[in-house]
Amino acid sequence: MDLKLTEEQEMLKTSVKDFIAAECPKAKVREMEEDKIGHSPELWKKMAALGWMGLLIPEKYEGMGLSFQDGMVVMEEMGRNILPGPFMSTLVATFAIMEAGSEAQKKEFLPKIARGELKLSLADMEPNGRFGAGGVTLKAVPRGDGFVLNGAKMFVEMANVADYLVCPARTRESSNPEEGISIFLVDAKSPGIHCEVVPTIAMDKLCEVRFENVAVPHHNLLGERDKGWTVIRNTLRKAALARCADSIGGMQACIDMTVAYMKERIQYERPIGAFQAIQHIVADAWIAMQTARYLTYEAIWLESGGQPADKEASMAKACVNNAYKFVSKWGIRLHGGIGTSREHDISLYYRRAKAADTAYGGADYHNELVADKIGLVK
Amino acid sequence: MDFSFTEEQKKRRQEYYKVCAQLEKDKPHGFSGLESTYDTEAGFKYHLHCAREFAGRGWLSLAWPAEYGGTGNMMDRVLFAEARGYHDIPGVDIFGVQMLAPTLLACASEEIKGEFLPMIATGEVQFCELWSEPNAGSDLADLTSTAIRQGDDFIVNGQKIWTTGAHFAHWGFGVFKTAPQGKKHHNMSFILFDMKKPGVTIRPIKYMNDFHIYNEVFFDNLRVPAKIVGQENEGWAVVNVLAGFERSGIDEIMRMQKEMENAVKYCNETKVDGVPLAKDPLVRNRLAQIAGEIEAARCLAYRVADLQNRNEMTLMDASAVKVFTSDVAERFASLMTDILGPYGQVKFSRWAPMEGWWERMYQEHFVLSISMGTNEIQKNIMAWYGLGLPRMR
Repeated sequence: MDLKLTEEQEMLKTSVKDFIAAECPKAKVREMEEDKIGHSPELWKKMAALGWMGLLIPEKYEGMGLSFQDGMVVMEEMGRNILPGPFMSTLVATFAIMEAGSEAQKKEFLPKIARGELKLSLADMEPNGRFGAGGVTLKAVPRGDGFVLNGAKMFVEMANVADYLVCPARTRESSNPEEGISIFLVDAKSPGIHCEVVPTIAMDKLCEVRFENVAVPHHNLLGERDKGWTVIRNTLRKAALARCADSIGGMQACIDMTVAYMKERIQYERPIGAFQAIQHIVADAWIAMQTARYLTYEAIWLESGGQPADKEASMAKACVNNAYKFVSKWGIRLHGGIGTSREHDISLYYRRAKAADTAYGGADYHNELVADKIGLVK
Repeated sequence: MDFSFTEEQKKRRQEYYKVCAQLEKDKPHGFSGLESTYDTEAGFKYHLHCAREFAGRGWLSLAWPAEYGGTGNMMDRVLFAEARGYHDIPGVDIFGVQMLAPTLLACASEEIKGEFLPMIATGEVQFCELWSEPNAGSDLADLTSTAIRQGDDFIVNGQKIWTTGAHFAHWGFGVFKTAPQGKKHHNMSFILFDMKKPGVTIRPIKYMNDFHIYNEVFFDNLRVPAKIVGQENEGWAVVNVLAGFERSGIDEIMRMQKEMENAVKYCNETKVDGVPLAKDPLVRNRLAQIAGEIEAARCLAYRVADLQNRNEMTLMDASAVKVFTSDVAERFASLMTDILGPYGQVKFSRWAPMEGWWERMYQEHFVLSISMGTNEIQKNIMAWYGLGLPRMR
């Protein structure tokens, strides 16, 4: 039992924090929100030069070969600062390739991803808004030496700049929705793909992607046909944990900002932080953050070590969903009027907390998974 | 960052669980929790029975330095607490073993250590904590009970309240004013004395569910040898040291974990209109929520234990786990009494589901949020000393 970060992890944390603070100040965060595309090629290039896209990619595919736990440190700092762009979406989609890709596919995709030459998005959700296998209705029908995809995906993060979409689709109907799903690596420039950015609360470029007779060659089938759900479920679990790490960083930023404000804002001849009512609220917020943090750390430790983590990951996602919303909400309220202004940074986090809440599963969805894991009969 | 235990620790943990599982078989029917230890003679006898079993294995002095008989470290204490919590086993005097012993090791003279540590390690001697007074609860430093020197003795006068287990205690420890004219925080001493001497009157205060846990204790010219921990008149500093040994709370958390397993079993087996409660979406959602919170508390408790193990304790984490765990306990009791419907109000009897445990917990959870520094005081401490926010003066 040793819950400290290693020296290497501390160093990684500091270097990521310093880089992001310098290269992506809040002005840039806002610029990317307002920007139609939401991606800065210059920033992307700089990150690629540091090798960040290859953080979790094995060394034999030109990555850094770091563990999920190491990655967690980076993700937390990104969440603390807020880092717009396709970094996280690419990381998440890459999990699927690392798990299910053939040697040929890994050789083709992973080094390019590690070098920052490819951006990807996981297209897990559809317009029906359902989490879980039942939500997958996009049809993939064999044609010639490949497949044809028809249907739509929704809330696909940064699909507007992605080179490839990792796309679960239904290749066989079954009474069990978890059977008959296949995963496709779809070239985002394929004819028949219509991608539109949906305006959302965090302006994080979640896209509607429509598929009209989109042809996908057979060699872009990822993993075994009809048996893709396990890989998608594992990918979504890792994605949820990555998002948890990001959210923890965001919560820390809210707490730091709010405590600083409480010490400097003078009303009634004293800092407002002297008033017990709000002292207790910020203590509650800290407790929410810290319990979410250590639950997430445990789940990521399990994931990083290759141990079963479904229950803990779902517990963490449900917990973090609620905690980030709570902390960011009170962050605004403790700032008073200024907290509601677009100009102030605190609401950036509140809006991101809502986006994080629904990404890869809301609290109720994950609590249902937990209910199953703790043994309640279905 | 590693949440795992070493092979050696896992072996020891297995041993703790094994012995506690054995002791569970001797549990009197209906015995549960700290409250049962003090409510009846039979309960207290069971507590002593467990204490003897643990003392024989040296488990009451686990994290003590080797020269005082300690055989393990902080993590052993945590693993032992887990096992006791899970099987709901008494036998570790929360006052003598968990609070006083570490405080003596940190603050007391060799003479005092030599007199009391062996006594504590035997498990035969019960302690009570003489802390709050009717006019000094959260603001303990405002106490008025006195211990006035007369040669090598103290003459003790005054009153303490909420004294858990005083009716079974052999010895008491607490803070008394030894320099009545002195400045606040520098006018009291942390002293130890025999509770069985003439001049001590104990009056029960029944808990709301009629359990006898607490007492009022009156001192009327009680004459005792002066046994002081730390410096005379500087007992407040010792109080703060003791408060710093705030438990990680892992025993309470593991008890809730066991209760969750029982709750799942109950919901799987209990049918409403032919359908198990376990299939009700509201039951599933709310129970899963609590299960996640229990796990979160456990992870934070490990964080606290890890920090204590390397002497890096932060009061933020210790306060946080205390507040969070007590809140979860209250929410769990509230949920379970909801799920049990009108049967949630039934006391331990042939009509009571789950042996009436939740009717009890629905009342007893306050012990967790109010004692050991109320949750509100904990949040003050977090705000002032953890986050650096100014005190209102």
